[in-house]
Amino acid sequence: MKRLGTIIDRAFPYISLFPAITVFIALSVYPIINLLTMSVSTFKFEAGREILTFDPLKNLHQFSTDALLKPAIFNTLIFVIVSVVLAIAIGLWLALLAARVRRGKGLLRTMIILPILVPPIAIGSMWRLIFNYEFGVINQFLSLFELDPVNWLGDSRFALLSVILVDVWHWVPFIFLILFAAVEGIPADVVEAAYIDGANQSQVTRYVMLPMLLPAIIVAFTFRAILAFKAFDEVFLLTSGGPGTATEIISLLLYKTFFVQNNMGYGAMLSIAVILTVVSFLLVSRRATTVFERK
Amino acid sequence: MRHLLFHYIRALALTLFLALCAPAVAQSFIEVGNQPPITILINASPWYPGFQSAVDLYTKQTGNIVKLDVTPYNGVLEKARNAVRGATSPYDLLNIDGFWTIEFYEGGFLKPIKDVDPTFELPKEVLACGNNHYWNAAKRWRTPDGGVLMGVPPNCNVHIIGYRKDLYDAAGLPTPKSYADLKDACSKIQKPPQLYGFVTRGERGNGIRYDFMPFMHGHGADIVKDPLNGDFTVTVNAPEMLAALNQFIDLHKSCGPANHASVGQADVIQLMSSGKAVAVQVVIAAWSNFEDKNKSTVVGKVAAAAVPSAASGKPGVASIGNWDLTVPKNISPEQQKAGLAFLKWFVTPQAQRAYAEAGGIPVRRDTLISDLASKPQYNWMAPYLQSVETAASPLGYAEGAAVEQVLGLRLNQALIGEMSAGKALNIAASEIEALFAKSGRKTGKLEPLPE
Repeated sequence: MKRLGTIIDRAFPYISLFPAITVFIALSVYPIINLLTMSVSTFKFEAGREILTFDPLKNLHQFSTDALLKPAIFNTLIFVIVSVVLAIAIGLWLALLAARVRRGKGLLRTMIILPILVPPIAIGSMWRLIFNYEFGVINQFLSLFELDPVNWLGDSRFALLSVILVDVWHWVPFIFLILFAAVEGIPADVVEAAYIDGANQSQVTRYVMLPMLLPAIIVAFTFRAILAFKAFDEVFLLTSGGPGTATEIISLLLYKTFFVQNNMGYGAMLSIAVILTVVSFLLVSRRATTVFERK
Repeated sequence: MRHLLFHYIRALALTLFLALCAPAVAQSFIEVGNQPPITILINASPWYPGFQSAVDLYTKQTGNIVKLDVTPYNGVLEKARNAVRGATSPYDLLNIDGFWTIEFYEGGFLKPIKDVDPTFELPKEVLACGNNHYWNAAKRWRTPDGGVLMGVPPNCNVHIIGYRKDLYDAAGLPTPKSYADLKDACSKIQKPPQLYGFVTRGERGNGIRYDFMPFMHGHGADIVKDPLNGDFTVTVNAPEMLAALNQFIDLHKSCGPANHASVGQADVIQLMSSGKAVAVQVVIAAWSNFEDKNKSTVVGKVAAAAVPSAASGKPGVASIGNWDLTVPKNISPEQQKAGLAFLKWFVTPQAQRAYAEAGGIPVRRDTLISDLASKPQYNWMAPYLQSVETAASPLGYAEGAAVEQVLGLRLNQALIGEMSAGKALNIAASEIEALFAKSGRKTGKLEPLPE
């Protein structure tokens, strides 16, 4: 009887977890297995039914010969690095500034997070108008100083930068929220002690606050980088990958392959590649977090 | 008394006249009987208000309820795919882009119209619209020759030239009949950046690919040699194609705005509506924007011309970009009949007239040559009919979407000067050949052009 009780006690946590694991498998593992199956197959519909043929080499061949893959990877890396670094820098700066404000902090925080509340479709429409060559507010502003209008979205030199700027504008509030909470969480006595010891404001920020904010910065960086890898809406709405391949990014290529060309096998293979890249990035950043925490 | 008798006779005569006329009118609107409610998947395009008015009229006349799922262009394809791939379609009629039809025909997702009602005949007055609504499964080609009727087009969307009649008249210029005429007018009238001579889409993807087609067809060039008979030799890098692309680039650069390579349909419409363009190449569906006082500053100033000639001695050839209303296979026979009942009604002359009057683009030839055509607000009807009669329907094969992706990118790269026109076409030819080879087609390509 006692033995049975012990067995039940040991099994209880697993039994309790069973419903959650079932839901997890149904919603996460099964779709990924399905995606894996698709990635090694070709698809055809006949008489209203799908015909799946196991043919991994066909998708692999396309993967190795896809002329858009190389610019897409390159642009994605540029997009991720520049947008994440800018968003972290601006978000951190805003968080430090906002933390110093004594009155109206709530209002300031609300105003800063406004861009994240705007739906992506509205962001696309709004920035398309702002960047408009003929009627856009930026070019109208430039014309006040008798400067030539800039082809923000149609010139290969500016298109990716323009899209990155919109992405940074959109996601800085996200970084701000994480880092603002972290700044507010820094014990006041530590900062005061540093001032008493004769440190000036920049020294306090550099040697006291930043090290204490580092775990939060890494968390913000990780989340933001994952989101940047998956960026789609801004690019799709503003440039659709053009001009030429200037703003072609991996998620856009994936969309066109999967949904426009209806090439589901190769599209699934691209999806797996994106998932693996993001998971690898996550593992590396987790390892980095552990190293920083040990230090 | 005589006076009263005269009135009596006149009233009797009028009653008799109306009684004789009434059946004629009623015959135009066919009796479709009571049908169960239907749902139509429809795109939110500029011609949608006209379609909605036609649907309202149908409901008013027949009492049959029609629900419209109005969806932006980019969402229609996925909704249609999900509908036909599921157990039961939530839609009884799917309005799909002619360009997508092959995927649906080849996949066996749609019900041939004659399988729903063997007695149905598409009225002979309905325009061919590139015959996108017929499918010959054996040849894997959209043709009435051996093909079956798969749908009914709600419009035959083709290019048309919109030009500022007031500016042309002031400069003493005639209606443009060729792209050379448009360039000549551009050089005489334009004052960039206040006024651009000629604007057409240059944005990567469907925009540039579609707007380049009249240049391509006009030069006698094509993408593939003879797809109808199974010869998929790629002819994208033929000298005629190069001439067409050079002309297209030249017009863009000399007459368009500085951001010509990112100009999309909304920009083209906006430039004409705001009075910043002398002439534009647009789809006919966009026309209502120029005549809407709430959207346009050039109401009554824009005239229409048929797609112009691209090369000396060769006719202008528009490109079909129409839609097809189709019946999904995975709904009940009753719902299929109800869907077809609407289509039968929709192609009647009276319905087509009401559709045109509400801003739609009719598909019946007799509507386009009716008294409406002589009214100023319908000045587009004659040039539209002229364009649609000669229009071609390219990319009529399963690889069409992938071919468009290739052309949409390479043409744009040539336009922005990232590579020469010859190189862009050579690369496109190799990539398109690879697509056909992957599908097991008989393919090949021409000798490369000088780069």
